[in-house]
Amino acid sequence: MAKFITIGERISVTAPAIRRAFEERDPEPILTRCEQQLKAGANYIDVNIGPAESDGEERMQWAVKLLQERFDNVPLALDTSNMKAIEAGIQVYNREKGKPIVNSADAGDRFNRIELAANNDAIVIALCSANGIASDNDERMAHCQRMLEEGLMHGMEAEDLWFDPLFLVVKGMQDKQMEVLEAIKMFTDMGLNSTGGLSNNSNGMPKHIRPIFDSCMLAMAMMQGLTSAIVNPNDQRLMETIKTCDIIKNNNLYADSYLEI
Amino acid sequence: MAFTPKKQAFNAKINAVTLGTGDKSIVIGGENVLPFYTFDAPIANKPRIAVEISDKGLEGCVSDGIKAFYAGCESVVDMAVKAQSMEGASAICLHFESADPNGENKSVEDCVALAKAVADAVEMPILVMGCKNIEKDAQIFNAVSDALQGKNILVLSAREENYKNVGASAGLAYNQKVGAESAVDINLAKQLNVLLSQLGVPDASVCMNVGSSAAGYGFEYLSSTLDRVKAAALAQSDKQLQMPIVTPVSPETWGVKESMSPEEESPEWGSLDERGIEMEVCTASACLVGGSNLVIMRHPAAVATISKFIDSLM
Amino acid sequence: MALKGLDIFKLTPKKNCKECGSPTCMAFAMKVAQGSVSIDKCPHMSAEALATLSESTAPLMKTITVGAGANEHKLGGETVLFRHEKTLVNRNVFAVTLCSCMDDAEIDQKIADIKKVDYERIGEREYVEFLFLNYAGNGADKYVALVNKAMAADRALVLNCADAEVAKAALEVCKAGKPILNGANKDNLDAMNAVATAAGVTLGVTGADISEIYDNIKALEGKGNKNLIVDCTGKDAKETFANAVLVRRGNLKDQDRTLGYPSIVNLAKIAEGDVHMQTALAAAFTLRYGSVIVMESMSYAEALALYGLRQNIFTDPQKPMKVEPGIYALNGADENSVCSLTVDFALTYFLVSGEYERSKCPVNLLITDASGMSVLTAWAAGKFSAGTIKKFFDEADIENKIKSRTLIIPGKVAVMKGEIEAKLPGWNVVVGPMEAVQLVKFIKDFNA
Repeated sequence: MAKFITIGERISVTAPAIRRAFEERDPEPILTRCEQQLKAGANYIDVNIGPAESDGEERMQWAVKLLQERFDNVPLALDTSNMKAIEAGIQVYNREKGKPIVNSADAGDRFNRIELAANNDAIVIALCSANGIASDNDERMAHCQRMLEEGLMHGMEAEDLWFDPLFLVVKGMQDKQMEVLEAIKMFTDMGLNSTGGLSNNSNGMPKHIRPIFDSCMLAMAMMQGLTSAIVNPNDQRLMETIKTCDIIKNNNLYADSYLEI
Repeated sequence: MAFTPKKQAFNAKINAVTLGTGDKSIVIGGENVLPFYTFDAPIANKPRIAVEISDKGLEGCVSDGIKAFYAGCESVVDMAVKAQSMEGASAICLHFESADPNGENKSVEDCVALAKAVADAVEMPILVMGCKNIEKDAQIFNAVSDALQGKNILVLSAREENYKNVGASAGLAYNQKVGAESAVDINLAKQLNVLLSQLGVPDASVCMNVGSSAAGYGFEYLSSTLDRVKAAALAQSDKQLQMPIVTPVSPETWGVKESMSPEEESPEWGSLDERGIEMEVCTASACLVGGSNLVIMRHPAAVATISKFIDSLM
Repeated sequence: MALKGLDIFKLTPKKNCKECGSPTCMAFAMKVAQGSVSIDKCPHMSAEALATLSESTAPLMKTITVGAGANEHKLGGETVLFRHEKTLVNRNVFAVTLCSCMDDAEIDQKIADIKKVDYERIGEREYVEFLFLNYAGNGADKYVALVNKAMAADRALVLNCADAEVAKAALEVCKAGKPILNGANKDNLDAMNAVATAAGVTLGVTGADISEIYDNIKALEGKGNKNLIVDCTGKDAKETFANAVLVRRGNLKDQDRTLGYPSIVNLAKIAEGDVHMQTALAAAFTLRYGSVIVMESMSYAEALALYGLRQNIFTDPQKPMKVEPGIYALNGADENSVCSLTVDFALTYFLVSGEYERSKCPVNLLITDASGMSVLTAWAAGKFSAGTIKKFFDEADIENKIKSRTLIIPGKVAVMKGEIEAKLPGWNVVVGPMEAVQLVKFIKDFNA
């Protein structure tokens, strides 16, 4: 089994410093956060440039080149609702360290991102919802199947569709958590790859509680077969949990210093 | 319907490590496929053979073939020079058997003097094997690495108990190559590589000795360790196991009764020399197929055969 | 090997017609994978898809049984490529060549040489299991005469003969012994298939390259013959190694059942006249997928190395190799020689007995039943205790068979000294060294 893949989430316009950096084309805050995440063990770096309706294409190309040139062609997840920006980003993307990830498609308005990924030989995160959260796993799996068929029809390998069950916030949707975990198991049983924005589950919780929830949820999800997640790599407890789960799942060989490597 | 075999070349590869200097230097490792799987991708550097020379010379040698090969040699240095002419030899492995404090307890100074004399006389890369006493080996490796600076030698081996000492001297201060030894314990093999790398020894200066045994004598442990190391290094891209593997074959095979029992004691077994050669050939071949990038051997006929074996599969 | 939903989906017509009761083909495939719906609910499944699905429950690699009676051997049936993944099931066998070009005296001599190597190693008989009978094109009479001689040697046979008529004549005399008929190729496929099938024997098939080998297997399977073995021998060692790996890997990893047969590798052909090279190659093919390894000879020198290797490689990783408990008199030990005790783990036995043999000192090595565990493991598990040692002494009748009353125990279980002395009154219990490598010095010092 392959090791768990972490996608670092900290380059995002939701952070004021990053938003300003994108607007002013100021490399430093973006490079700093990228370096921190890579040092902490992130495999992919998510680049959320926001909708960027006016300058998305130029902005994404700037970010892709900035990060890949500085960090040895680090593999990236291109995160925006602006399709043209994603395509522009892929044009300048270097695949040496891994295919680009399109973040994201869904079974609703963003269904056509699957074709976009297929046309550009990219990985796509396929969110199992249409318009709003799926009401149950029957609906989730129906979305999953529709997106999988779409991908295969356009010539994608099934392994390049990473299905996202959509992690739900515990504070408010506590009774739905097991259902999300069961959906991951269904992806696994079908032989599919999976991912998701893990920290959704701990939204609104006190700062010192969030790493605990994120780690526990991650461990339970890995047990169900989750193959990757979008995470904060600077959360040490979480990264240690992932490394330990990878050992227990025999994805990586144990050595006493396993946490340090 | 034509059959097209699926290829299995990996994105990861074994580190390429250079031993020795000049025209006779060799590179081991560098491949991104399983041993001899040339049908998946070309193999960057073929496996090599180092000839083992004891610091005791021919004392205790039971093989007529080995004695005949070194006929006329008056010293260990003579033997080392002669060994370079062995068909299929690429390196000389000087084995300080007599340094053992529980045996002859040859002094560190004497070991260094011998190592220097050998290094001055031979052109092939030099491997230095200790006496298995942890403290003494660390002293020998330290002093020999210092004395042979610039020769790019490989010391065998740093172990869990003395890796700091050996890694810091041979690997860092004197810029030699370090063999990390773990007795068929794959977790320890990985851990030692991590520790050496944390010391600052570059990956390209590290080889692994993941254990050794003769065919028939618990070889399954070695075989499975080799298989698992290569699987982790290539299929799982485990950087801490991508060091090339060096396996001492002859010290094991010439110590079992199949190779040592005199002809008068087991007449039905036939020639002792033949038994020793076959044992060495069989064990070396099995190590190479498992993933050894360099094997250490003694008998000229066995070395020639394994060299031919390697070439025939490349 | 259970199919995943996705694999089943690929076999469905992908029409989403809902006739099966599921909204989409994907939903249907998932239910089939879970076992909640039967595949025949889909009215549009092709016959080929159904055959693929039913085949997927059968083992990937067939087990082929050849030889008869005491010379019966199972070949193939492997489920993994590497022993650490689970275990290897059927050990490879060795064959030695004879030829119809040889005269009677030569044949008799070679059979006599082959029969000389026949011994036991840790509970296994080590010998040449098969005779590999080459047909030199010199007529059926010569070949049948060779087969008759070989039959008298009490070994299983491989008839290496690509001439269907000659093979037929040979099988007339030896088919009851269930030999392998090796030699089917592109040109003689139908005739050889007919001869092998009529005689009810395993057919060895080959081809000019891996692709042709594949086509020939397919063709034979198409005629209903699945009692096959693949002759992987190519023009040289490199091609033979590639063929053996590609056949086994294509079968077990890439799950192509056409390749699910054991193999023959003919080293007498690719390393003719080079005994040492044949040993090197035989070791390689013991590890990498030779089922019947064909040699020009099998002397003791070759056998001691190769059979030792084979025994190691084909041990079950879950089950340690054990030696028989009892008294092993080393270096001419008699009833007055000192006793040394250890466990029945084969590796421990070999290390300890090897070191003692090197010391040349007479020692009665006592091996007690410790379920094949190493010294410390057995001690921790209660399988190597004063109580079990006492029981062993009683059952093996040590006190009457041996007059010496000195017993050396492994240094690692020094803590047991007092308990053993209590259970074995009259014995002087001596703590030996921690490691076997220290035994030579220890026993020499002890005797001094």
